[in-house]
Amino acid sequence: MTATAAPVNGLVPAVSEAARRAQRSARIRGIVIAALGLIAFGLASGSMTTDVTFKFWLQQQGKAFAQVDTSPGELWILAGIATGVTGIWQLWRGAAVRWRLWLVLWLPFWVIAIMGHLLVGQTAVLTNLFSSSLEYAFPISMGAFAAMICERSGMFDIAVEGQMLVGACAASIAGSMALQWLGPDAGTIAGPIVGPTVAALSGMAIGLLMAWLAIRYHVDQIISGTVVNFGALGLTNFMYLRVLQTYTDYNTPPTIEKIQIPLLADVPVLGPIFFQGTPYMYIGWIVMVVLTYFIFRTRWGLRLRASGEYPQAAATVGINVIAIRYRAMLLAGAIAGFAGSYLSLHSAGSFQMNMSAGKGWIAIAAMIFGAWNPIGAFGAALVFGFADAAQQLLSITGVDIPPQFLASVPYIMTVIVVAGVVGRVRGPAMAGQPYEQG
Amino acid sequence: MRLELREITKQFPGVLANDRISIAADRGKVLGLLGENGAGKTTLMNILSGLYRPDSGEILIDGTPRVFNDPAEAISAGIGMVHQHFMLVPVFDVVQSVALGAEPVTGAVRTFDRTTARARVVELSTQYGLDVDPDAKIENLPVGVRQRVEILKALYRKSDILVLDEPSAVLTPGETEELFTIIRGLAASGTTIIFITHKLNEVLEVADTITVLRRGRVAGTVLPSETNREELANLMVGRDVELTVTRGKAHPGEAVLEIKDVFVRNDRDEMAVRGANLEVHAGEIVAIAGVQGNGQTELVEAITGLRRVDSGHIRIAGATVDQAKPRKVSDLGVAHIPEDRMRDGLVKAMTVAENYILDSYHREPYSRGGRFDRTSIAREAQRGVDEFDIRTPSIETHVGNLSGGNQQKMIVAREFSRPVKLVVAAQPTRGLDVGSIEYIHKRIIEQRDAGAAILIVSTELDEVLALGDRVAVMFSGRIVGVLPSEQATKEAVGMLMGGVH
Repeated sequence: MTATAAPVNGLVPAVSEAARRAQRSARIRGIVIAALGLIAFGLASGSMTTDVTFKFWLQQQGKAFAQVDTSPGELWILAGIATGVTGIWQLWRGAAVRWRLWLVLWLPFWVIAIMGHLLVGQTAVLTNLFSSSLEYAFPISMGAFAAMICERSGMFDIAVEGQMLVGACAASIAGSMALQWLGPDAGTIAGPIVGPTVAALSGMAIGLLMAWLAIRYHVDQIISGTVVNFGALGLTNFMYLRVLQTYTDYNTPPTIEKIQIPLLADVPVLGPIFFQGTPYMYIGWIVMVVLTYFIFRTRWGLRLRASGEYPQAAATVGINVIAIRYRAMLLAGAIAGFAGSYLSLHSAGSFQMNMSAGKGWIAIAAMIFGAWNPIGAFGAALVFGFADAAQQLLSITGVDIPPQFLASVPYIMTVIVVAGVVGRVRGPAMAGQPYEQG
Repeated sequence: MRLELREITKQFPGVLANDRISIAADRGKVLGLLGENGAGKTTLMNILSGLYRPDSGEILIDGTPRVFNDPAEAISAGIGMVHQHFMLVPVFDVVQSVALGAEPVTGAVRTFDRTTARARVVELSTQYGLDVDPDAKIENLPVGVRQRVEILKALYRKSDILVLDEPSAVLTPGETEELFTIIRGLAASGTTIIFITHKLNEVLEVADTITVLRRGRVAGTVLPSETNREELANLMVGRDVELTVTRGKAHPGEAVLEIKDVFVRNDRDEMAVRGANLEVHAGEIVAIAGVQGNGQTELVEAITGLRRVDSGHIRIAGATVDQAKPRKVSDLGVAHIPEDRMRDGLVKAMTVAENYILDSYHREPYSRGGRFDRTSIAREAQRGVDEFDIRTPSIETHVGNLSGGNQQKMIVAREFSRPVKLVVAAQPTRGLDVGSIEYIHKRIIEQRDAGAAILIVSTELDEVLALGDRVAVMFSGRIVGVLPSEQATKEAVGMLMGGVH
């Protein structure tokens, strides 16, 4: 007979106590969610008669469209149904419900209903909203990939923000120079290649510096990363104020335009959302797929993860942990720098001060939200991208909310997501810990 | 293959870790490498596995001198290491862990060929009777199985020479026996084995030859058939050692420590202690045996006020201390020798004198009106140092610079400097040399004879059996048996430790 099976003094096994606690909190959660459902119904009753119109481009922006006329009340009813069902399900099944997954079911309805509420009497083009969400998600997801590669190898990449900013600046200058030197014809073709390449290289240079400080001198990576971020801000501000403002020719790079994917771009509604974006968007998807495969299926990924989880174990089987970490920092720098080039070459068509505006930090949040997994991080980046796009939509349509508040929505989202929704995810065990070779 | 190390010397700043060490192991034989902590065993193994390079001396495999610049070269020369602290990534599964560093790959992007690796793991596991589930995650495996995964790692790399560093440290007696069976099987199939340990019984049982190291040198090479425990201990320490603890009969008085239906959570919020019941009386030693991780750490922390009791009661000398702060517990006359002396016992960057008053600095004679009385602190600390034979240059030396044995004596000196009713000692002799072990055991028995209740927690079965007037066994968060010392045989306790009644 085993001891675990032996009743000791007639005690109830302690496991059930923990289970009871989980059950109780699940019940409270169920009641709260169900109550939210009732609130949604309550909100519906007052707004059935007002109108809101959602518009979808069928082929191309500004051409034929499909239209959905609805009212905030109807949207609130949908939110109420989704929330109520989830709440009842939670009450019924208790702790067995994976409630964080269920958020995906009912939370979006709330987002739509709130937007409908704010957009009363207006027409909102949802095709644009979704396609800009994807676009805005690009720099965030790429930053998250960069940080993820570092952390998987056992390093911190706090400098994503700085790498993006320097990348944006370098891309603009290099692209402009290509245009100057090669003339308008060749330059317009070469610029979009030279700019992002130089941006990636500048990101790699920062990555190399960070890796060297951390590995060679055991500098705390949070500190060196913070220093690099401030350094990047100062350097690019200086470049902008002292150089680029005077010589504006060097801040007018050839921009990277949207391209249409043949055939796919013609699919109604989906075409304009997914297949009429900038090359950046597609590169982001490719990186996500390739990275997922490489991290989880290849020798490189296995060794990368071993270096981040237990570097001594990797070293004792003959793996060069130091080399892996250097390479990871270089690769991450290239990705973050490249992501930075999007900011100056696509959105604005020139470099502006503090262009990254915290996207690097949001990227790190997306990495955590996505549980150090490329697909998860991309999903998280989409949430942030959507918050950004929705914020812009609302401010353009002149909704009666202070624009400063709207602009803070993506950041507020970050705090909520990291603090509340993420819960317990576990990153690489030894991330940020210096490793000393024998 | 025959492995020979000739005149290996390795100097570290301030320490000559290996001083002209020569050892040899023949094909299919087990070489026992015996030595205390700090004798140079680990350094020697790190040289053999390519992590360090020797300052001078040669490594010969089948008579050919070899130089290892990094672990990969040692591995390709056929040397496999099983480290004392397992070198396994907790979130990997068995196949990934075994193949790491020697992965079969396919395609241009070097995709990890899991199918091939898995087939080989299954084949080796069956061939050597290791019984390992190839798809299990490492963090879910018991330590005994993890060790077999480590052995698989070496076999997977076709190692002809297998080095096991303190392999029994984390095993129950039953698991140790299984390990010995595996070792004998491997040796019979032609693997050369180097078995590093500080346990005398184990080398006598499993080794074909025994080389003893002392302070970085070879103290002697003997055959198990021609030696005995006393001689080995003498070689290890350099003087005669009392291996058996002599203690008179216990005269138990009233219960000082009462543990009733106690539940305690660990750091991960899991229930680590699940309904423990135990009493310790004045004038007796109760020793808790058990494999690490069965709730001993949490129980000790609950008793000493470092961790909250979830439910149940702990009483010390009649006072309930379920939610008491450490200072209240210590004021009740509890001396605590913590499991991790560097984390919970001492402040490394403070001096011997400061550490000596760490638990009573706020009281007279050390403090008066909020100010330290330096003279009495120095006087008392010096007395402790003299009385407990702590080898330190001065009482102003930082504790971090003392040897492990002296650090432990430092803690014992401080804890026993107050009137003691209850001693709670967790792993009191872990990592200490035989001399210090002997000394600390003596001091603990003195406290018992002076009328204190003693609770010892140890994963070293020998220590538990040597000291305990009663031996309690902890398994899966419960005290699953309490045996008087006459009945506490290695077999009986070992069975309980493995969860078998």
